[in-house]
Amino acid sequence: MSRISFQEKMLWAQLVGMVVVVLFYGHYLVHSGPGHHYFHALVLVLLLLFVSVRTFFRWRSGSVVEDERDRSIAAIGSRWSNIILWLGLVVILVLYWDHGSMRSANFLIGILFHLLVLAGSVRIIRELIAYRMAA
Amino acid sequence: MSSCLRNTIRELRATQSMTQQELADLIFVTRQTVIAIERDKYSPSLEVAFRIAHVFGVPLEQVFQYEAPAARKR
Repeated sequence: MSRISFQEKMLWAQLVGMVVVVLFYGHYLVHSGPGHHYFHALVLVLLLLFVSVRTFFRWRSGSVVEDERDRSIAAIGSRWSNIILWLGLVVILVLYWDHGSMRSANFLIGILFHLLVLAGSVRIIRELIAYRMAA
Repeated sequence: MSSCLRNTIRELRATQSMTQQELADLIFVTRQTVIAIERDKYSPSLEVAFRIAHVFGVPLEQVFQYEAPAARKR
């Protein structure tokens, strides 16, 4: 039997999904305008995949797949993620007030995208560390 | 995440030839949580603690013992 819990496996899968999204973004989207390469489709497919796998394993498994320890670790991850998001939003506001306006819509979208990726990655990594520390 | 709680779950399980998965199913947590509790890496909620004591049919203090941080340093 595996020492890694279902939640941990899902976190690793999320991390891989995050890398795929970032690679796709970096490779195809940075130098192209909106409306190309179906970026939204990739994100939606990944989200659908995660929800399906999660639902399937919950349905198939006779045992509990999430409990109070998982929820407390998820809360730790969310706290870190929230801090990153708030700091990022404050930085964006400071940039706005310093320069009067954002350089362009693409610049703003780029900052928001990286902020979301950073917050998500920090949440996943912090939760994985918490799982290993309490394993 | 090491806690001030010590427990005798491993010994109690051994006396009843119970696996970690069986205990986990009885107290509605994952097997990884049972492992973490047994290793004193995670302090369960009061509810789970009572469920564990109930499964083994012993008082709570026979399963969990509190060790004050000062006592642990000695």
